[in-house]
Amino acid sequence: MTTALTNRDVDHSPGRSPSTPPARRRPRTRRRTLAWAAFFLAPSLVPLTAFTLIPMISSAWVSLHEWNLISPMSWVGIDNYVNLLGDQRTRAAFSHTLAYIVGYLPLTYIGGLLIALALNAAIPARSLLRSAYFLPVVTSWVVVALVWQWLLNPNSGLVNTVLGALGLPEPGWWTDPTWAMPSIILASAWKDLGFIMVILLAGLQAIPGELYEAARVDGASAWHRFWRLTLPLLSPSTFFVVVISLINGFQVFDQVYVMTAGGPGGATQVVVGEIYDLTFRYGRAGEASALSWLLFAVVLLVTLLQMRGQKRWVTHA
Amino acid sequence: MSRTIRATMRGAAPVLAGLAAIGMLAACSQGSATNSDPDPTTADGESGAPVTITYMNFSANGGNEENLQAIADAFTAENPDVTVEIETVAYDDYFTSLQTALAGGTASDTFELNYENFVTYAASGALAELSDVPADVYTPSLLDAFTRDGVQYGLPESFSDVVLFYNKTLFDEAGLDYPTADWTWADEQAAAEALTGGGVWGDYQPVSFHEFYKTLAQAGGQFFTEDGSAVAFDSPEGVAAATWLIDKSGTTMPTEADGAGTPDFDTNLFKEGKLAMWHSGIWMFGALADVEGLEWDIVVEPGDAQSASAMFTNGVVVNAASDQPEASQAWLEYLTSSQTMVDLRISSGWELPPVADEAALSAYLEQTPPQNRQAVFDALESTVLPPVIERQQEMQDILTEELGNAAADRKSVEDALADAAERINALL
Amino acid sequence: MREHVTLRKVALVAALVIGALLMMFPFVWTVITSITPDGTLAAGPTLLVDNPTLDAYRQLFERLPMLRIAANSLGVATATTVLQLLTSSMAAYAFSRLPFPGRQALFAVYLATLMVPLQVLVVPLFIQMTRLQLNDTYFALLAPSIASAFGVFLLKQAVDGVPRELDEAATIDGASHLRIFGQIVIPLARPALATLAVFAFMSSWNSFLWPLVVVRSPELMTLPLGLSALHGQYTSDWNVIMAGSVTSIIPIALIYAFAQRHIIAGFAHSGLK
Repeated sequence: MTTALTNRDVDHSPGRSPSTPPARRRPRTRRRTLAWAAFFLAPSLVPLTAFTLIPMISSAWVSLHEWNLISPMSWVGIDNYVNLLGDQRTRAAFSHTLAYIVGYLPLTYIGGLLIALALNAAIPARSLLRSAYFLPVVTSWVVVALVWQWLLNPNSGLVNTVLGALGLPEPGWWTDPTWAMPSIILASAWKDLGFIMVILLAGLQAIPGELYEAARVDGASAWHRFWRLTLPLLSPSTFFVVVISLINGFQVFDQVYVMTAGGPGGATQVVVGEIYDLTFRYGRAGEASALSWLLFAVVLLVTLLQMRGQKRWVTHA
Repeated sequence: MSRTIRATMRGAAPVLAGLAAIGMLAACSQGSATNSDPDPTTADGESGAPVTITYMNFSANGGNEENLQAIADAFTAENPDVTVEIETVAYDDYFTSLQTALAGGTASDTFELNYENFVTYAASGALAELSDVPADVYTPSLLDAFTRDGVQYGLPESFSDVVLFYNKTLFDEAGLDYPTADWTWADEQAAAEALTGGGVWGDYQPVSFHEFYKTLAQAGGQFFTEDGSAVAFDSPEGVAAATWLIDKSGTTMPTEADGAGTPDFDTNLFKEGKLAMWHSGIWMFGALADVEGLEWDIVVEPGDAQSASAMFTNGVVVNAASDQPEASQAWLEYLTSSQTMVDLRISSGWELPPVADEAALSAYLEQTPPQNRQAVFDALESTVLPPVIERQQEMQDILTEELGNAAADRKSVEDALADAAERINALL
Repeated sequence: MREHVTLRKVALVAALVIGALLMMFPFVWTVITSITPDGTLAAGPTLLVDNPTLDAYRQLFERLPMLRIAANSLGVATATTVLQLLTSSMAAYAFSRLPFPGRQALFAVYLATLMVPLQVLVVPLFIQMTRLQLNDTYFALLAPSIASAFGVFLLKQAVDGVPRELDEAATIDGASHLRIFGQIVIPLARPALATLAVFAFMSSWNSFLWPLVVVRSPELMTLPLGLSALHGQYTSDWNVIMAGSVTSIIPIALIYAFAQRHIIAGFAHSGLK
């Protein structure tokens, strides 16, 4: 068994890590492997290049221009990047995005894991319950935002009614710059629990049952089994969830757009919100492209760090 | 840098470089706009060969699609050589769709723009110059709104204004006289205070760019300096106007925390009889006419130092890249001035036609509710159009945001206006 | 001991049911608003509706060519799902099993395609489609999602989890990569394939921004475009919007309910137990 991206298969220059069978390094075999790789990769690589990578490169080109989408572009070199890096709005957008991730990621992962564990157990109406928890994932953000605005209404919302009855402080939620981001995090976590649950559930299903039997025979407690067995064996799924959640988290937009539109007072303006405004509302597509490449750099760095760190904690059955 | 990252970067570099080359080619060759229906036989646009022109709009969305189609059909009946293909997009998505189409060179031959956005497009060279426009047909101020540097780039298509709606029943119950055209802010304030309570709010007026430039005019202030080189709203009149809007919030008007700002909040409040006075547009007539048991009427909005009413107008333009400019302009003239259009707009309660002939509008006045429909035209006697710059949307967002800061007590009114002035001056 | 376990299970199920009700609440509200006569959003949701009516659904079908729209959405989402399952599983196999040079770098390039927001790609993509004269076609609707790095990554994690002893044994028996892929790896990755199927279908079904710019003809309209057209500039009939929302949620909920059997069944068939 290999981990997702170990060094084992990377390097095929002679004289280094001979972890692949020697026979595979014969030129004929290598050519054949390449041919097979081309065969298996072409169906995804061709459309990905044509419909994502080339537009990405085009947007890098756009980022060196001033362009309002309506008139022809004019070359400005790296001015857009320089302006963005010096702009306080850029820093604010990144820090709001980061705040979102810090709140959202643990909340959805732990919540999704608990639900996946519970719904993996032999309980009645399991399929029905799973569908119920998946329902928010498929509900549109327009509807979800309406519901959460109502739930978190500072004066008459259900949440503050309960908090008030318990004698706890009642925050202004989405109308208050301090509490607007937590409101978005709450709504997002609630909506995405089912998404995380589905992936972790598939991961839990892939853990062979006999491992648990063996552990039980050895007298391991449920707590012990969870920490020593479930969590390590779930780590490929966890890794996937964390990487994808981070990539998606950095691009958070829909929920912000419908819940607060970046307000109040700009307190929830996130990076992609800024990109959207710049492109389609302010006619500054060049700066929007530059900003998206700054975002790209950050996300790529974070993702590569995770890739590198994974062999320390990701294991396979 | 770690070994893995370095290895990855090294491996990715040639791939990305290769792709970059392709991408540059793709981006550089961004061609000139062409019509989406490039049938060579119709390039002339003169009589003879049949022509199809396209028209993209937002204002027919949500109920008037058939009316617009009827106008197009009538046009084709009179001009059998020209067919109009209509594309209707919801307002919220319209500009995303339009701008992308313009960027890709596939925008329709003719399209709709609201007055606020017109300047941005005219300044960008995206619009064709119109010549020999039958000027006397249109209300002069409306026609004038769609010029830039003396060139006619668009035709007015419709207009509407904002008035004060009021709930007669609530006024009766409170023993108050109905609002009149000579009311001032003070009268409105007094009535609003008397009417607020018991689940009823006295007043509703959004704290936003669109309300601010109007109340600023009512207070006797100017949005820009005479030469337009800087803003002038950070003045005593500006403070008075902003204070007038903001002080209602939480006293006679629901706050954001009460739900203000959520979709259709104010509309529902008024429909349910829980709102006594409401600053809103005449486009709401249709939605209110169906509400059973709701007794309501309208009046020209109260002024302060002077009277001023907000007027909105939509225009239609020809795409500079259209290869059918003559047929396109003919269609737009029909769309904006034909009797078919006037009749349809009035009978359906769509926004009003921009024609100079007031007699054509007499049928509009005969409809009720509201009883006092004349107020729609009285308001036109002293209108104020939105201040417009090339970076319009940014200006609107900044002002709305800073007013919001003041309304939520995060800033004083003076500071909010000063900050807004500084930020907007940077856009000019 | 046995009683203790049962009690805990009852508590667990009770907690799950309460949680499920909370999760279903917005959907229930959507349904309730869609059958409320006056067509406005109430100040808050109520469980009792005076004079419930299906009028909003009738209006929905009157105002939009719903059958055509639903057929378009269904067709595009189904094609997207099938294509993504195929392209992703093949790529996942290559990344997991074929030791070709530059593999890790290429995988990073795949992941990188997830890192530039769609909002900024839409315009260049549109320009490119225009140049290829593919705008306003069914193909344009699904082209950007023929391949998905998300799917490749999800399936790669799953294929990595399939024991290599199995394909090594098959290789010795003379099986080609195609046979190993089709007969060993794919059957064993079924839970992940079913999961991807749900997500691929869902993201195509809900996709909005790209269809908005690329579709011009009403005949190509998909559900999210139709639902968006129901929002007026000044007012909206929320009962009709909610009816549209219910109509668009149900098919994906059904697909999930169907797919989860495969998600569960996956490993049971693997013969590894």
